[in-house]
Amino acid sequence: MTAPASGLSPQERVDPKNWTNKLRGRIEGLVPPGQALPARQPVYVASWIYVFGVLTLASLVVVVASGCVLAMGGVAWWHVSSLGHFFNSIHLWSVEMTFGFMVVHLWGKFWMAAWRGKRALTWITGVMLFGISIGTSFTGFLSQSNFDSQWIGGQAKDGLNSIGAGAFFNVLNPGQMLMWHIVLLPLAVGALTLVHIILVRRHGVVPPLDAELEG
Amino acid sequence: MTSLSIVTGAPGKYIHWGVIQISVTNATIIAVMIVLFVLALVVPFPTHDDEQSKPSGRSR
Repeated sequence: MTAPASGLSPQERVDPKNWTNKLRGRIEGLVPPGQALPARQPVYVASWIYVFGVLTLASLVVVVASGCVLAMGGVAWWHVSSLGHFFNSIHLWSVEMTFGFMVVHLWGKFWMAAWRGKRALTWITGVMLFGISIGTSFTGFLSQSNFDSQWIGGQAKDGLNSIGAGAFFNVLNPGQMLMWHIVLLPLAVGALTLVHIILVRRHGVVPPLDAELEG
Repeated sequence: MTSLSIVTGAPGKYIHWGVIQISVTNATIIAVMIVLFVLALVVPFPTHDDEQSKPSGRSR
């Protein structure tokens, strides 16, 4: 990977111990030049099935944004305020859409064997995202501060305690579940989403099976 | 507490089919996702007419 010459002194360009240089080189080498946000795609991408990845991403943005608004009001806000109820509903339905789009995206990628062409890690990070997103939504159910969340926590504790997870992941502790829901799991989802997108841009969109056979 | 209710009164409706038990809501959502998947495969994707007339037809 060659660094652009503009703005860099010769010493900067050749110094192998300069960690900033090395980090910049790594960041620049993450995706091929011009592929970070390409304006054009191969002709086979002109299908609705290729749209569901970005639909998942778009609805995830709404999930995070509405979650940030709810964070300002607190967990009980939606019980006592019509505005809070509105944003709670935005949060719920954007989550529903995120999962709906994600599942259709998953089906599409499964049936086109999207792990082909050194894209295994893209597939694996997608599966991990699916699993962690489910965990994030489950901790969201536990953060509703109502009888539903109480009942869900009461049911979930037995399964988690049976495998020993209850010692450090207590579903009957609403404060702990809220922190997992709004800090730890969203961080994991955000980081993995970034890796997933970089991998997609790095290896390109997977071609259809018949296109690869013809090639 | 306002009129916004924490507890919904009516229980959900469930479909019982052998060992399978699923709420009507969840079954509907799954059906919608399947319909969406099929539509995504069969509905033609809109393309720009001016782009199609260009000689380099490999890209949209």
